[in-house]
Amino acid sequence: MLLAAGGALATPLAASAAVLVISVQTPDGRALAGAIVTVRPLEGPPRHATPVHAVMDQVNRAFVPDLLVIPVGSTVEFPNSDATSHQIYSFSPAKRFQLPLYRGKPYPPTHFDQAGVVTLGCNIHDEMLAYLVVTDAPWFGRTEAAGSWTVEVPRGHYRVELWHPRARDEPAELTRELTVGEADRADLTVRLGKTLEPARLADRAHSWD
Amino acid sequence: MRCRLLLALLAAGAALHAHATDWELSVDARLVTSNAEPSFMEGGLGTVRYDSGDAGLQLGRLRLAVTQPLGDLFSAHLDASMYDDQDRSPLGITEAYLLFRPYPFEGYRLRVKAGAFYAPLSLENRESGWESPYTQSFSAIDSWLALEVRTLGVEGTLDWLGTRLGHSFDLGVTGGVFGWNQGAGNVIANDGFALTDRQTPVFGRVGQPADQPLEGAEPFLQFDHHAGIYGGLEARWLDRVVVRLLHYDNRANPNDVDYVADAYAWQTHFTSAGLRIEGDHGWTGIAQWLDGETRSAPDGEAGSWPFKAAYVLVAKRFGRSTLSARYDRFEVDSVGAEGDGAQSGHAWTAAYVFNADAHWRITLEWLQVISSSYNRDDLGGPPLLSETQVQLAVRYALGSRGGY
Repeated sequence: MLLAAGGALATPLAASAAVLVISVQTPDGRALAGAIVTVRPLEGPPRHATPVHAVMDQVNRAFVPDLLVIPVGSTVEFPNSDATSHQIYSFSPAKRFQLPLYRGKPYPPTHFDQAGVVTLGCNIHDEMLAYLVVTDAPWFGRTEAAGSWTVEVPRGHYRVELWHPRARDEPAELTRELTVGEADRADLTVRLGKTLEPARLADRAHSWD
Repeated sequence: MRCRLLLALLAAGAALHAHATDWELSVDARLVTSNAEPSFMEGGLGTVRYDSGDAGLQLGRLRLAVTQPLGDLFSAHLDASMYDDQDRSPLGITEAYLLFRPYPFEGYRLRVKAGAFYAPLSLENRESGWESPYTQSFSAIDSWLALEVRTLGVEGTLDWLGTRLGHSFDLGVTGGVFGWNQGAGNVIANDGFALTDRQTPVFGRVGQPADQPLEGAEPFLQFDHHAGIYGGLEARWLDRVVVRLLHYDNRANPNDVDYVADAYAWQTHFTSAGLRIEGDHGWTGIAQWLDGETRSAPDGEAGSWPFKAAYVLVAKRFGRSTLSARYDRFEVDSVGAEGDGAQSGHAWTAAYVFNADAHWRITLEWLQVISSSYNRDDLGGPPLLSETQVQLAVRYALGSRGGY
């Protein structure tokens, strides 16, 4: 699954690197799983993650997985494993596209060359919803069940941004800057200012509910 | 060359495969016991579908539905049903329409339907075939729509998809233009409200022409060149709350008479408002209200029947089971017709629905209607009557998607 990029933590840290642990909490202090975290350096030459090829299937009238984080320049394939036809669309500014009515795998992968959140739907089945988070950040990931995400980064200054489908805070309120200094580990805890949107009903829940 | 030809054939095959027909076939059998008077289908004033003579095994509905994509943006929909009672033909079409569904653009989505279909009013009949996941019998409001009201025309709906733009709600506006529904109102003025799940096929009848004491009604008639219209609004908050408003007016001329068909026009208009809330742990609540009037004045004999109905439904889902309770109230007044057709009443419905799998659905429903009717009194019956119907419904469905 394409949820995280960055150094492998099982190996010893390079002298110039440190572990950055980002924890995300709801306003009442509970861990928030599934939040997208992106980390960009504020100095030095621009860095980008390597584009990937990902697959988002359609099974039982749902996108599987229903959320992907991919670097700019990546391609995504949208096979339809259902017996019924689907008709995929996005009118998000980061990528406007549509895949005419189909079953199976008749179309080539779609290229995502602009950063932003792409909301996907099916023009036949209203309940189908998925997100593609296309990022130009070199490090990105998604918080685990305990509400945290860990990445190894060189020491330096960084901007950390969060996004969650149910978060109601403005983007600026979910942006932090920090310095990863001499210590081997840096911690950042971000608490949302606003309560999350209510989750979908249980039988229609997504991975972010 | 051969390779290219083969690839072209494969691509054409894939396209055909993608546009394959979706279909559903279901049979719904009932075990019924009832103490009700003969129903509207038999010329009576009973307020439920099955009367005391219908005890035993009945065919609730045999249904075939087909959806055929036509190119990328159009699809044709056909819903045909057979019921256990007499109509003009053994098999009738309850809905048949062409749907145009262009891709959403900048957060807006347009839908255009042309043909025969239900106006967007019901909040309980949300399953395919205009059936309810909560009860077998429809509310008084939806039963009336099933018997008399259908759009034979064109409807356009424009939705603003706020939930796809980072907001928590969607909004929609609907408008319809239709004909062949100038007979709508006849049943409500003569028989009053009922609670049933029989859907009159398009151009079908409610009852038979020679029935006694009340002859059959023909809702799907057009007497003049006036088109009926309706307009509606819908607001949705996430997937939890739906609010619907609809105003309908068939704009019939109440003086129009068709002497050949021996029928006259009913000028019918109504306004409806409804709310559906779905909460955590499987709870659903629905409240709906409808207020309207039907007028008829053949040969100068003017009459007017204001009517109103409302219901509240509470349902709780436990896994594959759903328990539901509904309370209906309904009333038909009579103005200038010496009381003919006046009716008032209320009903309680309790239902247990078990969706065993994609194919089998079992419903046990108890329905009690307590009503007073001027016409029943006038015809020598009791003015106040309590009717109870209990039915065990077993439905088996199969289709291209493996069931419903």
